[in-house]
Amino acid sequence: MFSWFGKVSFVPYSKVSDFAVHLKDGRLMGSRCKKCGYQTIPPRADCPQCMSGEFEFVEHSGKGTLYTWTRIDAAPTGFDDEVPYTLAVVDMEGSGRLVGWFGETITQEQIKIGMPVQIVPQIFDEDEDIKVYYSVEQPGTTWGKAPAPHLG
Amino acid sequence: MDLGLQGKGAIVTGGSLGIGSAVALELAKEGCNVAVNYRRHDTEAKQVVAEIEKLGGKGLAVKADVSSYDDAQKMVQDVVDRFGRLDIMVCNAGITWDGVIWKMSEKQWDQVIAVNLKGYFNYNKAAALVFKDQKYGKIVNISSINGMRGKFGQSNYAASKGGEIAMSKSLARELGRFNVNVNVVAPGMVLTDMMAAIPPEFQNKAMAETVVGRFATPEDCAHLVAFLCSDLSRHITGDVIKIDGGQYI
Amino acid sequence: MSRVGVIGIGHGKFGRRSDATVQELAFEAFRFAMEDAGIDRKELGATVIAAVPEYHKQRSVAGVVQEYLNLNPLPTWLTEVACASGSAAIRTAWMAIKSGLHPVVAVIGCQKMTELSTPEILALMGRVGEVQWESVFGTTFPGYYAMFATRHMHEFGTTREQLLQVAIKNHHYGAKNPNALFQKEITLEKALASDPVASPFCVYDCCANADGAAVLILAEESRAKQLRKDGKIVWLDGVGCATASMSVLRRPNLVGLPSAQEASQQAYRMAEVKPKQIKVAEVHDCFTIAELMAYEDLGFCEKGQGGKFIEEKRAYIGGDVAVNVDGGLKSKGHPIGATGVSMAHEIVKQLRGESGERQVPEADVGLTHNVGGIGQYTFVHVFRRD
Repeated sequence: MFSWFGKVSFVPYSKVSDFAVHLKDGRLMGSRCKKCGYQTIPPRADCPQCMSGEFEFVEHSGKGTLYTWTRIDAAPTGFDDEVPYTLAVVDMEGSGRLVGWFGETITQEQIKIGMPVQIVPQIFDEDEDIKVYYSVEQPGTTWGKAPAPHLG
Repeated sequence: MDLGLQGKGAIVTGGSLGIGSAVALELAKEGCNVAVNYRRHDTEAKQVVAEIEKLGGKGLAVKADVSSYDDAQKMVQDVVDRFGRLDIMVCNAGITWDGVIWKMSEKQWDQVIAVNLKGYFNYNKAAALVFKDQKYGKIVNISSINGMRGKFGQSNYAASKGGEIAMSKSLARELGRFNVNVNVVAPGMVLTDMMAAIPPEFQNKAMAETVVGRFATPEDCAHLVAFLCSDLSRHITGDVIKIDGGQYI
Repeated sequence: MSRVGVIGIGHGKFGRRSDATVQELAFEAFRFAMEDAGIDRKELGATVIAAVPEYHKQRSVAGVVQEYLNLNPLPTWLTEVACASGSAAIRTAWMAIKSGLHPVVAVIGCQKMTELSTPEILALMGRVGEVQWESVFGTTFPGYYAMFATRHMHEFGTTREQLLQVAIKNHHYGAKNPNALFQKEITLEKALASDPVASPFCVYDCCANADGAAVLILAEESRAKQLRKDGKIVWLDGVGCATASMSVLRRPNLVGLPSAQEASQQAYRMAEVKPKQIKVAEVHDCFTIAELMAYEDLGFCEKGQGGKFIEEKRAYIGGDVAVNVDGGLKSKGHPIGATGVSMAHEIVKQLRGESGERQVPEADVGLTHNVGGIGQYTFVHVFRRD
């Protein structure tokens, strides 16, 4: 259900659609190639290293470092009610980079390139449809993860 | 079936008597720590706590008027602090105060709505805050088949019980994405103290309505509630399950 | 191997052209180019058309332009690589001529932007990054370049004032260009006070959407010498092109465009010139930081020194290399399909000595640097006047 991901979704289907399902449950997932072990986030189904299409999801700690950022004042269609919002580009622990929104725990004044940050899974809780995203927060921020069900 | 409720934290409102106490004990049997609240019956509430603890769980009894919003928020916080966690909220406390509408006083109406309907809001809301954050929770609101049909002399009770059903459906929608189930159990006539207030001819009428020729025991209701508090029923939400022996089909 | 020369150039007025359709805009510029070249339509072998289709209600823009210019049944096709479409069309024409298939080719860059509203354009342009992982957070085109600027400021101490000096220069020259959208100078005070767009950018850091068209007519060397009697032929001696990842998530750094560095090295090698020989350049100033990074990527100055370069007026006429002295995207406006051709138009004019009060003295080697999106594609062309 990749269409759950983001304030406005442009991609309804993907081989890594379950990324959004895991995000809803509070888990940020990267991918690992089953053949050569190449790991990255965001997850990808096709390995750039060995060309294999066999991958598995691997939970990422969400820890990263701020690489750059910008505060958007002029919004594109669909984001008019969110403006202004601040975008972050975060270099993730291990390999990979994510684009996300700064969350409640970091004020504009506290933003510094190079600062450690924590990516936190979020749900747009006032939207009737299920919509998920992640925010960029202070290190040490905690959040709930749906436990595995007890099925007798 | 292993319901998998070992170590979970539960609150049952109106847990000193009847359906409430049966639910509290059933959950305790399944391994839960259970807190009950009660309005008047101190002795009975203490008795329930003693039995919970005999079954190996932590027990707690809180005297509270369920129609108080602040008391509800506080009780939920206390339980989370004492038990370390809250996973289950069963709302059961309720009263009747029957009468035909042309004789029904404002107080008669307000009181039943406040205890039954607002009471469920107070506790559902407090629990929702906890469940939403932890991405897990089971809410069971005990309503009645008399919230699904209109009985003579029960406009206030019917409104409150019907309201509980619609409210639960709304909450199921809001909380589903957070891995929280919200369901309603709707009993018919149950063998409890509340029944004593019902005149014999009405009891007979009710018996005639059942197709099984008996009334529910509080334990019958508790079994259903326990099932709805487990992950085995994880795909049931926003539902109303009658437990009325066929009284209202 | 014979060279490829420019024998005709044409340029229409850029701006909010609600008076014309895309094909009517194309015709304006085409008419000027044909008059400038002094040739008959039957000399043309093919056209290559540059436009970005998503902004038009008309489907298959190339076909409708070819028809309106009365060029059926000549071959034509569209090239599209976002804002670099114009240069891509020029490269395609160069390849067609070099292959021997079409000795004379007209390149028509034409674009309407204003058929869409500003938020629609922002949303559409924002999707030039990676739609799956980035656009869902409301990235915008200025937002992407702003992230480059934020990082450049962090790594090299570049300031907002230095960035705005780029806009001030380009408006200074655009004020003298009758085809530009904005023909007014601006001050630093006015710029700093303008509305924020995406930090650190305000309105004056960003180019404006515009409608417009420009045309170039190219020919194989011997044909060019036959057709252009006055001998004022400008040679396209170096073509370079490179790509980089769509997603900013997979760039090695966000303080320069690797595709621009690579493309310029190819073009310099082919034309056998060094950066300091470039006298006049048209670079892709969609945002102030883009021009600043271009000075560095093209080798006009060291990495990180772009701020100093503009501050010391080394990009003005009289400096190391005159950059964007027709106003650049900032002052002309940016009709994305036409921009690359507009850049070539100015360089050709400069190398012919026809730029009037904006003439760069003794301009003999010039360069265009045309970037698509956030550097997903860069085309660098080196022109020479013998």
